Amino acid sequence: MSVPAALARLRRRRRADRAAGWLVRAGGAAIVLSIFGILGFIVVQVLPLFRPARVELALSIGTATGQPRGLLSDPWAEHVVEVDGDGRLSVVRVDDGARVAEASPLGAGVRPTAVALARARDEVALGTADGRVAIAVVSFEAHFAAGVRRVRPRIEVVESVVALPGASVGALSLQSLASGRLLAAASPAGDVVLLRLVREENAFTGEVISRVERQNLAATGEVVRLELDDAGRRLYGVRHDQALVWWALDAPDAAPAHVVEAGGRGAITALAMLVGGRSLLVGRASGAVEVWFEATRDGQPQLLRARVFDLFDAPVAALAPSRRHKAAVAASVDGDLALFHSTSERTLWRGHAAVRGAPALVMAPRGDAFFVASSADVDLFSIDAPHPELSLGALFGRVWYEGYPKPAFVWQSSSGTDDFEPKLSLVPLLLGTIKGTLYSLLIAVPLAVLSAMYVAQFMAPEVRRLVKPLIEIMAAMPSVVLGFLAGLWLAPRVAAILPAFVLAVVLVPVGSVAAGAGWEALPARWRRHLPRGTEVVFFVIGVLAAARLGFDLGPWFETTAFGGDLTGWLAGTLGLPYDQRNAVVVGVAMGFAVIPIIFAIAEDAFENVPSNLVSASLALGANRWQTVTRVVFPTASPGIFSAVMVGFGRAVGETMIVLMATGNTPILEWNPFNGFRTLSANIAVEIPEAPQGGTLYRVLFLAALALFVLTFTVNTAAELVRGRLRRRYASL
Amino acid sequence: MVAPGQGGLKLARRRDRLGAPLTWLCGGALAVNLVLVAGLIGLIGVRGFGHFWQAPIVALTLDDGTRVLGEPWGVEEIPESAGATRTRIKTGNRDVTGRDFVWIDDAKLRLREEPADAVVIERREWGNFYGTPVELRHDGQEVARGPARVLDSLAAAHASALAEFDAIWALEQGEMASLNRRLEELRLAERRLALGGSGAAERAQRQQRIEQRRAAVEREYQGLASQVADRRQALGADVLVVRTIAGDMREIPVAEIVRLVPANRLGPGGRIRLYLERLREFVGGEPRESNTEGGVFPAIFGTVLMVVVLSLVVAPLGVLAALYLREYAREGAFVRVVRIAVSNLAGVPSIVFGVFGLGFFVYTIGGTIDELFFPEALPTPTFGTGGILWASLTLAVLTVPVVIVATEEGLAAVPRALREGSLALGATKFETVWHVVLPAAAPGLMTGLILAMARAAGEVAPLMIVGMVKLAPALPIDGQFPFFHPERKFMHLGFHIYDVGFQSPNVEAAEPLVFATALLLVLIVSLMNMVAIVLRNRLRERYSTSAV
Repeated sequence: MSVPAALARLRRRRRADRAAGWLVRAGGAAIVLSIFGILGFIVVQVLPLFRPARVELALSIGTATGQPRGLLSDPWAEHVVEVDGDGRLSVVRVDDGARVAEASPLGAGVRPTAVALARARDEVALGTADGRVAIAVVSFEAHFAAGVRRVRPRIEVVESVVALPGASVGALSLQSLASGRLLAAASPAGDVVLLRLVREENAFTGEVISRVERQNLAATGEVVRLELDDAGRRLYGVRHDQALVWWALDAPDAAPAHVVEAGGRGAITALAMLVGGRSLLVGRASGAVEVWFEATRDGQPQLLRARVFDLFDAPVAALAPSRRHKAAVAASVDGDLALFHSTSERTLWRGHAAVRGAPALVMAPRGDAFFVASSADVDLFSIDAPHPELSLGALFGRVWYEGYPKPAFVWQSSSGTDDFEPKLSLVPLLLGTIKGTLYSLLIAVPLAVLSAMYVAQFMAPEVRRLVKPLIEIMAAMPSVVLGFLAGLWLAPRVAAILPAFVLAVVLVPVGSVAAGAGWEALPARWRRHLPRGTEVVFFVIGVLAAARLGFDLGPWFETTAFGGDLTGWLAGTLGLPYDQRNAVVVGVAMGFAVIPIIFAIAEDAFENVPSNLVSASLALGANRWQTVTRVVFPTASPGIFSAVMVGFGRAVGETMIVLMATGNTPILEWNPFNGFRTLSANIAVEIPEAPQGGTLYRVLFLAALALFVLTFTVNTAAELVRGRLRRRYASL
Repeated sequence: MVAPGQGGLKLARRRDRLGAPLTWLCGGALAVNLVLVAGLIGLIGVRGFGHFWQAPIVALTLDDGTRVLGEPWGVEEIPESAGATRTRIKTGNRDVTGRDFVWIDDAKLRLREEPADAVVIERREWGNFYGTPVELRHDGQEVARGPARVLDSLAAAHASALAEFDAIWALEQGEMASLNRRLEELRLAERRLALGGSGAAERAQRQQRIEQRRAAVEREYQGLASQVADRRQALGADVLVVRTIAGDMREIPVAEIVRLVPANRLGPGGRIRLYLERLREFVGGEPRESNTEGGVFPAIFGTVLMVVVLSLVVAPLGVLAALYLREYAREGAFVRVVRIAVSNLAGVPSIVFGVFGLGFFVYTIGGTIDELFFPEALPTPTFGTGGILWASLTLAVLTVPVVIVATEEGLAAVPRALREGSLALGATKFETVWHVVLPAAAPGLMTGLILAMARAAGEVAPLMIVGMVKLAPALPIDGQFPFFHPERKFMHLGFHIYDVGFQSPNVEAAEPLVFATALLLVLIVSLMNMVAIVLRNRLRERYSTSAV
């Protein structure tokens, strides 16, 4: 090869070398970084949970109808219906402020004495001074013309009934149900009447029969406000002395009123029901909004004040609940606004609307906007609050959920209905995780550490080489197989073998000591001729014999100690109910999974204790065991610690075993004989059903993030401890 | 502190007396571990291999005169009784009695026989049938009568029925399925046309062409469907009449029979042949009865394919990252931190990776692919749902740390002298790495790769989220272009265990099959791990003498 050619080749090789170097550096760094991108991605998925709500004034349109007494919104927040003091309904198009429909259900010139809105179906009830009630329905029909969507609002008067003959309608509430309408009306004289406007269609003739069922409700004084729940089961009212009264409409008898004493909290200025029809919002003159719901306490259904939002300095003028969340907007007489969520106890946003006079409010059906109206104009605010039901308190604190007698930690993410209150407390899951981990470590740590000590310190190297792979195979056992065995094979048998198991905990150590003694008792001549490692066979025989004895004595033990029925004894004497798939089963199965992990690291730590330390100890006259406890164990203890940490990390994240061997019930109990639900199993159970980007989805990502950070931290700490140990060994 | 003199010696001796038993306690702990491992493997082995063994069929007569026919399925003590036992009998005949098992109180047993004529019939539906063959009919006409004759003539009828059944199945899975796919393609083409921005005239023209083609395909499909229906009908002509022990007559179409076993007439050779046949069916056959019977071939195939795709991804990435960390990056705090972090990433729970895979691969990347390339199929997702590709990639992310760590270990084990020798001979750094270091570290890479594959084969939790199904309608590889369908759902051995063991309606009857599946999985995973252990030990030994 000529010199120039060789030089050219050299240059080519150098170029290739440099290129390869850059490629490896760039690629390697990219891979390493993208592995950590996982963490970043999960964090990005979680962050929106804690984003504050954004509420903005979208537009403002003038009104000319005077002081509105009520508002309705179409599904797209494109039209707003005003009900004014003259009993006139007018539909205003938001885009241009044009009045596109108008009607006076009571007839011209008749002023309503009471107005009630059934927002779920866009219905308005108007009551008069002569006891008459008229009901109008506003409908919004969307149709497409030349590719453009147009909405045509229509107002239709559907009913006109005499609710209170000869008396003025002072308070009114309307609810529209599948079976017909429900109307509650109260007169200043103290009469409260419930009307069921039933519409029945004859299945054969198609003929529609309307009839009115009237029920007089007992009241103890004038009722100034009324509010029906969504299902028509409860009627709430405010008495003139500001006491809350309520009637159980589904009760068989003529519904006597329950009275909740006012307790001097100030006048009630607004009433509304949250979606789901269980929580009653009570606005006070003090500017506070209270959330009340019914729960059984002391065996009695009671209306309880669950929480208070101190929103304003001025009296609450209007409340507008969302139809999507347990959230509502409140307005004060001064035009102060607040958006709050009941479950999370979060006041999501506060603001102000330039209003004159008491404002009226309505939340758009999709919960993404609300209207505020006063005599001056109508303001449309847009709401961007994707996860209002979540707060740190809702995740980690006790929350007083609807229908619960007191605050509790509950995980119940979903149910069949839309108006369900999601209960997203991570506490039961965290506790379940710790419970499962604890019971498995209780089983795994002694077995793994002791056997690691034996293998590293007392075993001949050639035997060690046979035993260690066996335990490594144990590590390779797929967790789904362990879970299957635990759930289907072990769980049904545990109840029967539990006494034997308890006995075995005592007998197996005795058996192994006996086996050791038996080995020692053999004449030294024999022992020399037996192959090395035979003592392990002795131990296995001892352990098996002890276990066998435990099984044989199990029934006797159960009879003498527990009256022949251990599970009954547990439930009766200790108050521990017994589930088939319980923490003991998980402890055994997960212990099996964790043992090899702890063993590997602990064995490594024991084995690498510098031999000069051991020799020095032995030379000073200490025996083998003294050396192990006084020299080897203290030296290796950081390694043991690190082994337990890594085992902990494995147990915390284990999914399949827990999923298959527990009942997956998110309960808050330490009882070893019932089930639990861990963070990891919860993710596996729920994420396939969680809509992408929804609150549950993000909460499950949060759970994954917690697992990631926890195990990563624990493993890193363990690694650092081990690193220090290695350096110490090296220096010894 | 051991004081000198008599007292100190006594103290030392006393401690010694305590010392030996505590040592033995450690030995006992080890023995417990060994017993646990052996017991577990023994349990899975016995139950798993036992699944294929045909036990004799027994006919039991009880005190009250009731008779039960079936296979004994274990004995247990009756709870809260003084040592009385009961036997579980698999009686099958789910369609007659509504259950598969009965418990027989051993004290009430009067007579136990092993009737020679009793047969067990494995059916495509309704599980096993236990009874006596009475008659073979063709088109309602008697062909043979009496157990022995029926069995003789059944063999031929059964063989032809099976062949016909397979032929129909092939027709349905082959031509009819491909016609179905063409219809779906036409539907998508129509949607594309509606979404696309071509002119009105052209659109009408294309629409017409689609209509024409659809009419043709539908005609062809109808023809095939009626042909299949006719052949089905004809297949139903051969009927086996059987009698249950209670004396009820049942007709079983011959084509519905998978296998008829005259269990009590089988000799040892016949039993072993049957055993092997069932084993082959298990490994190579399709599942029946919502996975609780038949084979697990699709699950094996899915597992293997997933592992192969995974290793194709994970090997280059792992090697690149390990080379960077060990050979190219400057040793320092950064690399140390990264190294610790990478090795700890292997300890992060697998479910976390599943969540990541769902959010990143399925929803983010898959969703984007769908929007860009498959808008006509929306809202039905194509890539925006779990599939074999996403499952493989998720597990690749999960196992890449394993490969990086093992490869790094391999690279670290290559002696410095080897590198220096290569450099001294004039090789560039890359040439040294490529031709000297990497080959020497190959066992490390292989160890990591095998460990990664074993972990992936046994992992279930993340796969539950990103791509597994109970029963995949089609394998991810088939004769349809482009042959590998990365978006398809697939079956997996581990998930099969979870699903059949915990989600199936008849867990009790399915348990033996789950044991067999568990055995298969344990064998595969243990084998891979053992190979990895051997490789790693060899790597450690190879350089242990030459290294410093």
